[in-house]
Amino acid sequence: MGDAETKIGETTAAAPEATSAEAGAAPGLRYLEPSQVRVFRTENGQVRTTIGDERSIIAPRFLRACPLRDPDRYISIREADPNGKEVGLLHRWRQLDRESRELVQAELDRRYLYPVLRRIVSSKHVFGVTICVFETDRGVREVTLRDIRDNVIYLGSSRILITDAEGNRYDIPDVDALDATSRALLTQIL
Amino acid sequence: MPTAQELPDGVRQAVARAAPGSEIRIAAASDLAADRRFGERWFVLAGERVLVLAPNGSDAEVTVDLPLSDIKEAECEVLVGGGMLQAVIKGRKVDLLPYTNALAERFGTVRGQLDAAAKGKPIPPAREKRNRCPSCGLILGEETRACPRCVRKGAVLRRLLSYARPYRGLLWLVGILMLAGTTFGLASPYITKLVLDEAFPHRNGVLLAWLVIAMAASSVLSTLLGIWRARVGAWVGGRISFDIRATLYERLQWLSMRYFDRHPTGAIISRLTQDSGGVQDFLAFGLPWIGSNVVMVGGVTAMVFYINWKLALLVLIPAPFVSYFALHVWHKMHLVYHRFWYRWSRFYAISADALSRVKIIKAFSQQPHEINRFAVRNADLFGASVFAEQTWGTYMPLIGLLIGSGSLLVWYFGGLIIVGRGPMTVGDLIAFLGYLGMLYGPLNALTQGAQWMPRALTAAERIFEVLDAESESEKGRGDVVPDNIRGEVEFRNVTFGYEKHHPVLKDVSFKVERGHMLGLVGKSGAGKTTVINLLCRFYDVDEGEILVDGVSLRDLDLSFYRGRLGAVLQEPFLFSGTIAENIAYGRPDATMEDIMAAAKVANAHDFIVNKADGYDEQVGDQGGRLSAGEKQRVCIARAILHDPAILILDEATASVDLETEAQIQEAVARLIAGRTTFAIAHRLSTLRNASNLLVVDEGKVAEFGTHEELEAKKGVYQRLLEIHRKTSMTTALGR
Repeated sequence: MGDAETKIGETTAAAPEATSAEAGAAPGLRYLEPSQVRVFRTENGQVRTTIGDERSIIAPRFLRACPLRDPDRYISIREADPNGKEVGLLHRWRQLDRESRELVQAELDRRYLYPVLRRIVSSKHVFGVTICVFETDRGVREVTLRDIRDNVIYLGSSRILITDAEGNRYDIPDVDALDATSRALLTQIL
Repeated sequence: MPTAQELPDGVRQAVARAAPGSEIRIAAASDLAADRRFGERWFVLAGERVLVLAPNGSDAEVTVDLPLSDIKEAECEVLVGGGMLQAVIKGRKVDLLPYTNALAERFGTVRGQLDAAAKGKPIPPAREKRNRCPSCGLILGEETRACPRCVRKGAVLRRLLSYARPYRGLLWLVGILMLAGTTFGLASPYITKLVLDEAFPHRNGVLLAWLVIAMAASSVLSTLLGIWRARVGAWVGGRISFDIRATLYERLQWLSMRYFDRHPTGAIISRLTQDSGGVQDFLAFGLPWIGSNVVMVGGVTAMVFYINWKLALLVLIPAPFVSYFALHVWHKMHLVYHRFWYRWSRFYAISADALSRVKIIKAFSQQPHEINRFAVRNADLFGASVFAEQTWGTYMPLIGLLIGSGSLLVWYFGGLIIVGRGPMTVGDLIAFLGYLGMLYGPLNALTQGAQWMPRALTAAERIFEVLDAESESEKGRGDVVPDNIRGEVEFRNVTFGYEKHHPVLKDVSFKVERGHMLGLVGKSGAGKTTVINLLCRFYDVDEGEILVDGVSLRDLDLSFYRGRLGAVLQEPFLFSGTIAENIAYGRPDATMEDIMAAAKVANAHDFIVNKADGYDEQVGDQGGRLSAGEKQRVCIARAILHDPAILILDEATASVDLETEAQIQEAVARLIAGRTTFAIAHRLSTLRNASNLLVVDEGKVAEFGTHEELEAKKGVYQRLLEIHRKTSMTTALGR
């Protein structure tokens, strides 16, 4: 009964805490134009977003809708609470005014920590694990790969995501763009 | 356990400067710098100061310095690929330092520590669960402690062989057969020598006949002994792994739920299948194989030295090189084939995936897309298989050539001795060549055995690890066996978390009278299922206690207690077997009359009899299909037959037609009558019927009382009810 078909047009006002069994408004995405959105710091240093004259959100979260395939296309602006609702989808966010753009960029940089692999420096197979030195956009790191088969995701024809034994994920956006040594080592690893 | 990691010198000095004379209460290193590049950062609570430090050569720079008194709470924000330790200061979250996923657990603990410190509570110790080998630091697999580098090979082998002790006699037999078989095998080239040196030159036909008979006898005997040995060996090896598997499975049944939480089912299944398979291979084939090859190499070496020790030395010189080369090739082939098998499994996965979704593919008319996907994998597989076979086809003849080169040496140098009328006959030479042919095979085998051994021992170690894991029956099993369980249940200040630093239930207290029904209400994730898990004693409470009929759950005999519990769960689960077997699952001794009576009470009898095979209808994995409503009622019948004192009822949310719904409701009503019932309620009728409702919110008891009381209170329950009414109204309209 929890997954009842909800009737379109019902209000949510009577059930402010409802999340799962909510009778919500017509589901529709709200796209925000860059001109509507302003992001700035308040006097006490908190990030704040205004949507026209309509809303103001303190410490909003900026999430990428497609962080892998198209990281800069759609940015979901959400309320501060981890379960908070989406305020709207911002596209073409690079057209924001300068301050806003920089703050959004800083927030995205803060949130998305997965490194991009640039080069495989070395790899050796010892005792059932593979110990590699990865050079990434975040610096060089020695990683341990284990059960590689279960920890590699192939996206499309040349993109690979590798998760190491500690739960960190490394993105190889284009295998063919790696240098020859890295490619050879990668073939060995996989 | 300590609450602080050991600080590097530079950081310690910087801490001493920033907070002179303070005790270091918490210290933990992160792996991300402020610009989110990989780097080292330290979080330190020294006395009353909260510090974040960036090591800088032999010194460190303090990047954050706050008084502890400013901090109200500590939090961890979950980011993508890592997290951020934060402090709540004046209602605002302030970032302290980021970390990657690798350290998420460590900083989860640090959060708890900082939070405790900020609230003036004692700081809990750090529990580093990161799965590294404690002695060498190698990262290990899913919750295993078996480090392939540090595994004490001797100890594991001894323990493995202890499983062989009951079959000592047979193992001796295998050993003797091995020795005897090899001896007879070694006779053959020597007889050849006698033919060439004795029978031919003296034109002795009788001797020749006897020698040929001896030759035949030795090879027949050697073969027969070999067959006997293989058959006995296979039985002993198989039997030992049978014993190990049986012990392992029995153990798995008794392991605590926490163990199953930490270990994914796949990993456990792999221990049962792959690891025990690895051990079986090793015991049934590996050990005898290695053993017979050792005997063979020893025997052959002895014989060639006996014939001509100088030539033997000469010929054996290349042996280490050939072995080394062969080892190298084996390693390469292993990699190549590994890749091939990996491609196979991906190929298999995509085929299985597509074929199991035929209906959806057709419905979306995605056949061309699927064919395309398949073609890509197929081409991958083609490439890998060609590469593997070609590599094999190239290296194997090369190894053959190398091995053959040994015999060239014998022909030439042995021939020289003969030509120079040295102390060697043609027979010696031919026998020599014969022995040489017998040498390289086993030598090769032994080098492979060297690789096989560690793998098998690691597998064995992983199995022993399960055998040594804590089982629920050992951990405070309790020995109180009351005459009966009446069903009075009390939770007294219960606090519990699946991970101890992250409580899911906080100080929960309530009481349910015998025969009453308690409805558990709350949002998903509020802690309802956890209450049930604790009641079943799948987990033990961290603080407080649960009393059943006034006896602490820890003191009750677990098997007896569970035998008096019954459950009807949201997802009705049927085992493979007949309907009758499924109903009788909790009471295998039930008669057919009992089963039918229970089914009748559960409103299941009529639909069951209508099945072609009636109560003998196969259900479960490979069995016939029962509808959701039918499965529900079979499960209710199972619970009725089981006749539990305490019943757990997790109402189904799946919608069934109104008539079935009414039948299920009726069956449930009959089931719960007179039993203490814990219901995770989704239906309004259940909520109304419950003697008491427990509203759980964020792990705490938000409200407790009857439906009417709570409705009047206009709190959390009233709001949930409001939503419920709305959705059920729309559902009713939708029908």
